[in-house]
Amino acid sequence: MATSGSLIQVTDLKKYYNKGAIKALDGVSVDINRGDVMVVIGPSGSGKSTFLRSLNLLEEPTGGSIVFDGVDITKKKVKNAEGKMVKLDIDQHRQKMGMVFQHFNLFPHMTILDNMTLAPIQVKHVDKAAAEEKALALLDRVGLKDRAGAYPIQLSGGQKQRVAIVRALAMEPEVMLFDEPTSALDPEMVGEVLDVMKGLAQEGMTMVVVTHEMGFAREVGNRVLFMADGKLLEQGSPEDIFGNPQHPRLQDFLSKVL
Amino acid sequence: MSVSSAGFQKVFQYAGMFKEGMLCTVYLSLFTVILGFLLALVLAVMRMSNFRPFRSLGLDKDGHLRDGGFLLALSKFNPIAFIATVYVEVIRATPMLVQLFIVYQVVFNKNVINLPSVTVLGFLKLNRFLPGVIALALNSGAYLSEIIRAGIQSVDGGQTEAARSLGLTQGQNMRFIVLPQAVKNILPAIGNEFVTIIKESAITYTIGVQDLMAAVKAAQAGTFLVLEPLLVVAVLYFCLTFPTSKIIAYFERRMSRGDKR
Repeated sequence: MATSGSLIQVTDLKKYYNKGAIKALDGVSVDINRGDVMVVIGPSGSGKSTFLRSLNLLEEPTGGSIVFDGVDITKKKVKNAEGKMVKLDIDQHRQKMGMVFQHFNLFPHMTILDNMTLAPIQVKHVDKAAAEEKALALLDRVGLKDRAGAYPIQLSGGQKQRVAIVRALAMEPEVMLFDEPTSALDPEMVGEVLDVMKGLAQEGMTMVVVTHEMGFAREVGNRVLFMADGKLLEQGSPEDIFGNPQHPRLQDFLSKVL
Repeated sequence: MSVSSAGFQKVFQYAGMFKEGMLCTVYLSLFTVILGFLLALVLAVMRMSNFRPFRSLGLDKDGHLRDGGFLLALSKFNPIAFIATVYVEVIRATPMLVQLFIVYQVVFNKNVINLPSVTVLGFLKLNRFLPGVIALALNSGAYLSEIIRAGIQSVDGGQTEAARSLGLTQGQNMRFIVLPQAVKNILPAIGNEFVTIIKESAITYTIGVQDLMAAVKAAQAGTFLVLEPLLVVAVLYFCLTFPTSKIIAYFERRMSRGDKR
């Protein structure tokens, strides 16, 4: 089960475009604890994807800090074990954060198995046989072991997203980031992906999920964040957010989506 | 003008010259492709570089980005990319023949770079062959660099994001994710360019390279026949270009395995 304790501390995170004319993120602070299933909701353009993508620096923040495992990853230089200032190795931190994208982003020129073993072999230097064994076990878990030799284009959207999830899991991340994982799927395929995510949550994986699936937020999330205009307007348990919303923007949002 | 088998028999007396000419054309194209491709890679990297030495001039006193004006434009200026862009545009906007003559008559002028009159690879005159290769490579490098740049940029940005989110470095991302897909996208265009190089190498005959066209001239002068030597050389060029495009089509098919259901 989940060990408690803070995993990621986000403080006053800002992302400005055009000299601050556009504030995609305008001072967001939040603590993500181990074992949290944090669901981020909000209208489009509210900055929730930018927030998620900032967590592993796919977007470089304009200001604020993100402390992950005790290291502020927004700084270009950090103190190493001997106390010397060294260049921050962002790749080292990224491999501990799995990311799942709206458009899957599987590598089309590789088989499913190669998609899954590339990073473990190249980044973690796991040997090929072990990486493949692990990949097949993960594929088996999402019911796709028999498609290991297929190419991404041969899979349905739901299958692709399940592969994308286990591809990230193959790196044994400490946290999984989901950027609208079901938004590009046909309606009948949404369930199979959400089921995989639900299973992960039950195993105690720390997850940050940007989604429009309010059912998932209510049922699986233990914390819900509501964002609008780049600000974190309200956060709380699913019961509070959905049962007793305080902020007028949240009340308005929920009246439209529920 | 009639074509007779007797005419072709006369032309075949020059078979030795055609053979050497063909080999010369093959060597010309081969060296051009290699040199041109290396140049193209350098140019493509230069054009995609992110070197902006005046970056800080774009910020005002408070450290905010300026709204506009000359200093903002200067801060975005990338001299490395600029040089490469000027080179590509100049090469593409001027005739190959002019470029060839500049290389041969101006650069490899006896007073500037004096090449010894020696033969290489058995029969190639170095002081004609080398300027020919260099001029062709300078030209095709410009075209190839545009193809390479477009190919790399055609790979979806999500691919890089996925690769980086898995912890791959920028170099590993290029090697395993972007370049394999880019090469697949640009292979047809590169194949076209290789075929073009083989055909365009004929122009080096004008500076005295003993390629296939030189053999034609010799055969025409010796036999007083106009059409037959030209027909022979057309067939020989076809024998070079057609297999080349077929070989590239084969690799194209092999690499597109992931595209088919």
